[in-house]
Amino acid sequence: MSHYESPIRETLILGDKSYQDVSNDIAAPIEGKANKLWWMVFTIALVAFLWGLGAIIYTIGTGIGVWGLNNKINWAWDITNFVWWVGIGHAGTLISAVLLLFRQKWRMGINRSAEAMTIFAVVQAGLFPIIHMGRVWDAPWVLPIPNQFGSLWTNFNSPLLWDVFAISTYLSVSLVFWWTGLLPDFAMIRDRATKPFQKKIYSLLSFGWSGRAKDWQRFEEVSLVLAGLATPLVLSVHTIVSFDFATSVIPGWHSTVYPPYFVAGAVFSGFAMVQTLLIVMRKVSNLEAYITRDHIENMNKVILVTGGIVATAYLSEFFVGWYSGSSYEDFTYLSIGAATGPYWWAFWALILCNSVFPQLLWVKKFRRSFIFSFFMSIIINIGMWFERFDIIVINLSRGHLPSTWTQFSPTFVDISIYLGTIGFFFVLFLLYARTFPVVAQAEVKSILKSSGEQYKRAIAKEENREYRK
Amino acid sequence: MASNKKYWTSAAELKNSSIVEKLSKTEFVGEIPTDAFLGDKETLETSSTSRRDFLKYVGFTTAAASLAACEGPVIKTIPYLNKPNDIIPGVADYYATAMADGYDFANVLVKVREGRPIKINPNKEATSDNGTSARVQASVLSLYDNNRLKSALNNKKAINYTDFDREVISKLDQVSASEKKIVFLTGTMASPSTDKLLAEFKVKYPTAEHVVYDAVSESAAADAYEAIYGTRALPNYDFSKADVIVSIGADFLGDWQGGGYEKGYAANRVPKHGKMSKHIQFETNMSLTGANADQRFALKPSEQKFALVNLYNAITGQGLASKATPQDAAIKKAATQLKAANGKAVVVTGIQDKSAQLIAMAINDALQSQAVDLVNTKNIRKGNDAKVAQLITEMNAGNVGAVIINQANPVYTLAQSKEFVAGLKKVKLTVAFAMTPTETTKEVQFVNATPHYLESWGDVSITKGTYSLMQPTINKLFDTRQFQEALLAWTGNPTSYYNYLKNTWNTDILKGQSWNTALHNGTFKVANEETTVTPNTVDLNVAASALAKTKTNALELAIYTKVGLGDGQQANNPWLQELPDPITRTSWDNYLLVSRADAEAKGLKNWTVDNGALNGDLVDVTVDGVTIKNVPVYIQPGQAKGTVALALGYGRTEGMQKEMQTGVNAYPLVNKVGGNVTITKVAGEHQFACVQLQHTMMGRDEIVNETSLADFINKKKEEYNPSPKFSLDHKEVSVAETDLWEKFDDTIGPHFNLSIDLATCTGCAACVVACHAENNVPVVGKKEIRVSRDMHWLRIDRYYTSEMTKEKGEEEGIVGSGKYFEAQTHPEDQPEVSFQPVMCQHCNHAPCETVCPVAATSHGRQGQNQMAYNRCVGTRYCANNCPYRVRRFNWFQYAQNSEFNFNMNNDLGRMVLNPDVVVRSRGVMEKCSMCIQMTQATILKAKKENRPVNVGEFETACTNACSTGAMSFGDVNNEEEKVAKLQDDNRTFRLLEFVGTKPNVIYQLKVRNA
Repeated sequence: MSHYESPIRETLILGDKSYQDVSNDIAAPIEGKANKLWWMVFTIALVAFLWGLGAIIYTIGTGIGVWGLNNKINWAWDITNFVWWVGIGHAGTLISAVLLLFRQKWRMGINRSAEAMTIFAVVQAGLFPIIHMGRVWDAPWVLPIPNQFGSLWTNFNSPLLWDVFAISTYLSVSLVFWWTGLLPDFAMIRDRATKPFQKKIYSLLSFGWSGRAKDWQRFEEVSLVLAGLATPLVLSVHTIVSFDFATSVIPGWHSTVYPPYFVAGAVFSGFAMVQTLLIVMRKVSNLEAYITRDHIENMNKVILVTGGIVATAYLSEFFVGWYSGSSYEDFTYLSIGAATGPYWWAFWALILCNSVFPQLLWVKKFRRSFIFSFFMSIIINIGMWFERFDIIVINLSRGHLPSTWTQFSPTFVDISIYLGTIGFFFVLFLLYARTFPVVAQAEVKSILKSSGEQYKRAIAKEENREYRK
Repeated sequence: MASNKKYWTSAAELKNSSIVEKLSKTEFVGEIPTDAFLGDKETLETSSTSRRDFLKYVGFTTAAASLAACEGPVIKTIPYLNKPNDIIPGVADYYATAMADGYDFANVLVKVREGRPIKINPNKEATSDNGTSARVQASVLSLYDNNRLKSALNNKKAINYTDFDREVISKLDQVSASEKKIVFLTGTMASPSTDKLLAEFKVKYPTAEHVVYDAVSESAAADAYEAIYGTRALPNYDFSKADVIVSIGADFLGDWQGGGYEKGYAANRVPKHGKMSKHIQFETNMSLTGANADQRFALKPSEQKFALVNLYNAITGQGLASKATPQDAAIKKAATQLKAANGKAVVVTGIQDKSAQLIAMAINDALQSQAVDLVNTKNIRKGNDAKVAQLITEMNAGNVGAVIINQANPVYTLAQSKEFVAGLKKVKLTVAFAMTPTETTKEVQFVNATPHYLESWGDVSITKGTYSLMQPTINKLFDTRQFQEALLAWTGNPTSYYNYLKNTWNTDILKGQSWNTALHNGTFKVANEETTVTPNTVDLNVAASALAKTKTNALELAIYTKVGLGDGQQANNPWLQELPDPITRTSWDNYLLVSRADAEAKGLKNWTVDNGALNGDLVDVTVDGVTIKNVPVYIQPGQAKGTVALALGYGRTEGMQKEMQTGVNAYPLVNKVGGNVTITKVAGEHQFACVQLQHTMMGRDEIVNETSLADFINKKKEEYNPSPKFSLDHKEVSVAETDLWEKFDDTIGPHFNLSIDLATCTGCAACVVACHAENNVPVVGKKEIRVSRDMHWLRIDRYYTSEMTKEKGEEEGIVGSGKYFEAQTHPEDQPEVSFQPVMCQHCNHAPCETVCPVAATSHGRQGQNQMAYNRCVGTRYCANNCPYRVRRFNWFQYAQNSEFNFNMNNDLGRMVLNPDVVVRSRGVMEKCSMCIQMTQATILKAKKENRPVNVGEFETACTNACSTGAMSFGDVNNEEEKVAKLQDDNRTFRLLEFVGTKPNVIYQLKVRNA
């Protein structure tokens, strides 16, 4: 592989790093001790997680009635949270698989954490369809397991069943893909480890990686194959999640635009979550050299594009509903009825957070600002939560028959479980940040000599040009 | 028998060899080396079983043993040792009997399973078919009321009936000796044998007197009839014979004069040969009758009186004294129509004033109304207010020695309750007969616990010439005794009441006809010898001038009864408490109905809180010096401006479970109708349990399709009842042609359809309770109803017309704006009302079926959409995807859960459960099953009898309960069935047909004769 790269391409590794430096930087959080901040955040996350766990146990012990649902609005926060978390879980695969196929080298600094986030988010997402069941103890019935009850079988017509397959496939492929990428990095940690226990653990985790050329060759091949497998999943998972709504007959749900619009929305929210995490992480874990302003800007560009798709979808939904002239479309989640109805605040939260504020990213200065990007990512996360809330609650609260119109209000259990999953997510992510190589150092090393700062500078000097920092 | 035979087990034993003896002493071949093993430390240490292993084994075996112990509890079924002749387990018996509790009277057919009455059906072969109202349907649950009196009481202490009688008789003798009055204060019993018993009592105690008292009085009408015809009764009405019906304040589809008129009314509400009846209603609050009327006009109670006289004047051309009302134009028009109907017209009024009733009778006389039956009168309201008032005066004056109360709760229901209680204190002997502890039983010396009508013998004559028999369908649950048995004991008659009843019937009624047949049929009709009655002349001028003196007040009071609780006797019945009122769709409450204009003027509000529940302001209501505190306000469209209305039957506390103590007691105001009301807003807010928060159809008029009579006659079906059309390849096609799905094979066996005629559905809610009872639907309580978690499988949607129509919106140029939608949600001040019973529509292409991941809901071969509770995992996706929102989720464990302390939480209350229908557990979805347990039973019965199922034999609980015949059910594969014929009727439509669900429930649109 030639190390030459044009100096006008962005520098991906700042600060004259050597291979040794990269290893040291990545291994530092694992080998060092956690600071106070980590412990503080971890404690908060753990408490939230345990509180949520308590709420889940209370729900299972007492009945779904402890949530704010009713016989007209049978889903609310549960499925909102489910779709939200699944959506968040989209960025990882997109970054690692799709960008790999497109040979986008800038992904190398962020793909590991993005994928970790994906897996942890999908774990949260997977919780909700299970605990939202009235009889959780019978949850295995949604799996097509051969049984003695004659023709008792799952209903392959049901989008919920498709969800089961989509989510489980996505989780397993993402996990394998992530782990494959981790093997050389675990091996690096293993080789540096001095304590026998750590050494043992990391040898196990690295599956006996030896670093031979054959290992590397297989590694590259498997990565490509898995990327090929994972790419359609990026599209399929949220497409199938959107089928939960699109295949139904409820006004506002029954809509053919849902699959592409959901996928775009998922990438939109997923990238926002990556932003939220990495902007903090690059500071806390001293990864400024690897997660640069360029990375943030690139991700902002993706957010801008997918946000544009989402906004277009909103417009088309709004227009088509209005243009139909059907009174059944007057109160769907994107309609005048919704904008002026009892859920006006949720409607406007969606429009402002997802379609209005992100337009500021057209300004380069904002796009390249860490602080601004962080706040924007939070806004988008909120907006995307409201998108799912609006789709579910507003549409269900204004069904076909006006006699059945009602409203929903969450109970403390609804809120606790949601906070609990956020806690759980951060527990996992914080543990990950302390035990896993958070940047794909093997990959980063492969571009050090083409995109490292000192090499860029040298080439630029040779060619007598400016290089992009 | 002793035996000395010896059996040997082997040849060796026979030969008595020593080895046998040796072996029998040492069971094991070698000795177990326990000591050697445990004693030898070295062996122990070298053993491969370590202490840890040992603990592991112990742990494992303990765990295995406890797991093996985890079996479901064993519930033993004890079979009959000697099977009673008439009980076959699993097969229901039906007994004809009659309900008569002083307020509700009905001929019923009781379904008894394994000796337990579990369901009340109307006795459709009865000679006086009164139908079964929601309360009659629910009365079976009152039998299993946990709060019932379980024995007789003397000064609140249990007493046996022998001692009870000894003390009562000795006191009666003393009272009789002192020549003070012995007064029986009873509700209307309409029982010939009881009347005879009372007469016999009077022979023994000559000072005895019988005062009949109806809590919700129709005394004025009875007084009027008495004034003209000499006997105390109520005219009977056959609304099917009327082409024009004018009602001034009579809720004749509700409880007016004992009710039971809906069947006759409905008969003429479907256009036949282009004709149907015209119903004009003048009333104060929106009643069930007003909601069904073709034209409805709001009038204050005082104005109703003037309107009645004005109507009389307009019809007869006379000039009785009266005053003008805001609706005089309508009155004039109504008069013209009444006259034009040529005797096929009737005027009824619910004004509680003798003069008004006299004038109403005079109007019908002038119209020569064929709908009024003055001969075969109604016997079920005999109360006499004047006599009750006189009794109270006499009690306080000390002239009464004994008061014996039966089927009445005067301490609760009397407006003069305080005076009555004071009077009771001055009476030597006070006895009350009651089924549950009441406000009255608290104030008397002796309480006789009475059995429920399902445990009693009795008779009742609902109309003159028709007789019904009441027979027990279960042994007495508690130590109870009937009023009649007590009378027999007190008069020293040793016969049982059963024999007494039989003798009375044989001699007085049957006159040679079979007692057994009469008992089997439940009813018996005697030809009435009289065919005419001769009227006395009354001076209408006096009546009219009395009415003209009525004062009009700025804010007038109206009192009404609700379909659910009626007079309040069954207030401890959770089915009735949970039943949403057909008009307000609010349960678990009564409230002050206020018009929108008055509410705005007084700053009173109703509002929806975040979880969709309804809240409202509280007021203190004062009428002529009587105040009721903390009454919630409900803003009611259709309420006459300048009036408020309050329902009776609520606010009871005695003998009531805490959850059932709802609402306020309106009886203190019962005699103040039309009185001047002052309301003051007080602090706090009330939480309603209202199941419908959106009252208008929001421009979706095809939901409850309607047309006018003129359009129905003159226009094509496509114009007044259009089917949805779709565009396919630029051609207009029907919903069938755009179908994505394959059709189910519905040709083999029955294919069930349910048809609901919106023209004859009055919204009476009897079907809702019937469904509740048949299908073990849980009661969930006020808190859950409030947050839209009602479990009724069948609901009756009620819509008002909106003040904002599309035409009006276009005029104002606001169509499609938020302002337009907001205005659409507001009902008109005087709206038209539509009812629509909605249950599972059993779609042939059901949206719920495709989305269930575990196929727990799937299509039946007979057209039903079936729900396999055992398979349901509770994702609730089906409920979300149901356009009709008829699916009900078990949010909690509703049975045997102290959080839901209703009938399913006590052994007694659970006796009402239908053994053919499973009680659902928490976490599963449920919904209307089209009473599959009933249809299967019908099929099996026909199969056993080796015949096809008869036309009309298939029934569901709702169709069975429907008095007007609005609901019909059957197999559409049988062309003779009514539902099969209705499929292509011009009025037939399907709810939300455009969704393509192909429902098996069909509706016939309502025709308004406006």
